[in-house]
Amino acid sequence: MNVLTPVTIGLLLGLGVHQILQRDPLRLFVGFILWSNALNLFLLAMGSRTGQFAPYSGNPAPTSDPVPQALILTAIVISLGGLMFLLTLLRRLADRHGQGDLDKAQDLRR
Amino acid sequence: MNTALLPIIIPLAGAAALLLFSGRRQAWAAIVVMALSALSGALLLAHTAAGPLSLRMGGWPLPIGIAVVADPLSAFFVFSSQIIFTLGFVYALGSKDACVRKPIFFPLYLTLAAGLNGAFLAGDVFNLFVFTELLVISGAALTALSDDPRGTEASLKYFLLSLAASGFLLMAAGLFYASVGTLNFADLARSPNEVRGPGFLWALALLTAFFATKSAVVPFHFWQPDFHTAAPTPVHAVLSSVVVKLGVYGFFRLTLLFPDQAGPLRQGLLVLGATGALLGGMGAAGTNDLKRMLAYSTLGQIGFITVAIGWGTPESITAGLLFAFHHSFIKSSLLMLAGAVASRAGTKGADFSNLAGLGRASPRAGILFLLAGAALAGIPPTNGFWGKFGIFRAGWEVHGTWGLLALAIAGGITLIYTARAYLRVWGPDVPATAKSAGDRLWAPFVLVGFCILMGIWPGPVWELADRTARWILDPTLYIQGVFP
Repeated sequence: MNVLTPVTIGLLLGLGVHQILQRDPLRLFVGFILWSNALNLFLLAMGSRTGQFAPYSGNPAPTSDPVPQALILTAIVISLGGLMFLLTLLRRLADRHGQGDLDKAQDLRR
Repeated sequence: MNTALLPIIIPLAGAAALLLFSGRRQAWAAIVVMALSALSGALLLAHTAAGPLSLRMGGWPLPIGIAVVADPLSAFFVFSSQIIFTLGFVYALGSKDACVRKPIFFPLYLTLAAGLNGAFLAGDVFNLFVFTELLVISGAALTALSDDPRGTEASLKYFLLSLAASGFLLMAAGLFYASVGTLNFADLARSPNEVRGPGFLWALALLTAFFATKSAVVPFHFWQPDFHTAAPTPVHAVLSSVVVKLGVYGFFRLTLLFPDQAGPLRQGLLVLGATGALLGGMGAAGTNDLKRMLAYSTLGQIGFITVAIGWGTPESITAGLLFAFHHSFIKSSLLMLAGAVASRAGTKGADFSNLAGLGRASPRAGILFLLAGAALAGIPPTNGFWGKFGIFRAGWEVHGTWGLLALAIAGGITLIYTARAYLRVWGPDVPATAKSAGDRLWAPFVLVGFCILMGIWPGPVWELADRTARWILDPTLYIQGVFP
């Protein structure tokens, strides 16, 4: 198992969470892109439990497990839909409260 | 055609077909679709009485293939949620809100139902993820549509936390796969305890965090009062009564399917549930908004069920199931009544100052609110009494002193805040700004009727809960049902 994969996953997750915690709506959005990609990479890494070669026929064993890769495909599609919905919500909220500071959206605090 | 698929396919196909209609016709078509779905839920309940129905999508062999598994526990939750959903649609038909006239409202409502059913019936972790995302996006979009201008903000809060929860679920899926090489619940449950590494425990913990977020169990509850308050009334009525039961379902599933790992999980649920019952009760007593009060009250009542799961004896599992069933009816009827009263207010919102005296204009809603409030507080002869009685008796038998004490205090607080709400809304004289007509009371009338009926005649539901509990207490039955 190489060191690069876990380090990349950790960096992406950390950066993602850091951006999500910012006040700027666009940073929040970018943060979620990073976070979802970190998760996809995590799933991909889990496929290496059987080996690290790409699972084509004819490739020498040990090939990696293709199931997590199928999961990632679905996860990418779902996160795309989710992120677009998030963008719409952020747009509506920015229109209502002014751009650039989510802390101004405090209507629900009481 | 397997019955297990019907509660997923009917609302999904119906949602697509409903896009062809608009206006009144669409609303009636939606009710027909939902009633069919409720019928399929009842059918499912009848078919799973003997054992689970397992379906492999596309004929792929398990555990690689996608499994849809309807066991008595899933059928129990699908059945109760479908009834509430149908009545939620009936309420939406008689609602004065502008958002229910939008052509996308009913299709989204149906995909919410499909997502919830799919999550109950999912036989593997990843399928659970897919259906939860459907549920989350539909719910968030419905709240963003709300007449309440705070809907967008509430929707964003919910959506962000749900994306985080889905992240937990994906991590859990990855860890399950890395430690035992499968995602199928039955296959996970039958994996020998020795091969489950530390990754398996982490996966279970993440899955618990996911379910806790879905049910708004205490440290994961911050989205719930905001989100539920801003949702349109017909949606709030299902969100706060049956959609939050997804996490409860998950706790039943996890504690009973993985008995070797269930010990710490039960301890955790006991503590969190008791805290939730107290915090929810105090939040409900402290807030100045009727809908928000009921949302906090959901937090408290979910705590009752969670404590019952934490005790983990056959009696407490039965009582937990029973109260989960009853709470769906009680809470949805209370929410609909709150919404119906609030719909008469001159200005939008469910603040007590805004609602003071409005109830006088609809005394029938007042009677229904009193009955449903009595049910929430657990006063006989309503159904809420039996659920709470069962939970307290089960707690007494296991000598769960601290849990019992917390629940008793929470039960007392329940009585205080429902009584206060009644006095504030139905006490003073009708304000001059009140509108002459509000939302229709058909759906809450039927729901309160069920509450009283199940209170006077608790046998059938109790038997159903007892049968389900006895079935799920033996995880080998579930495993054999999926892998014969």
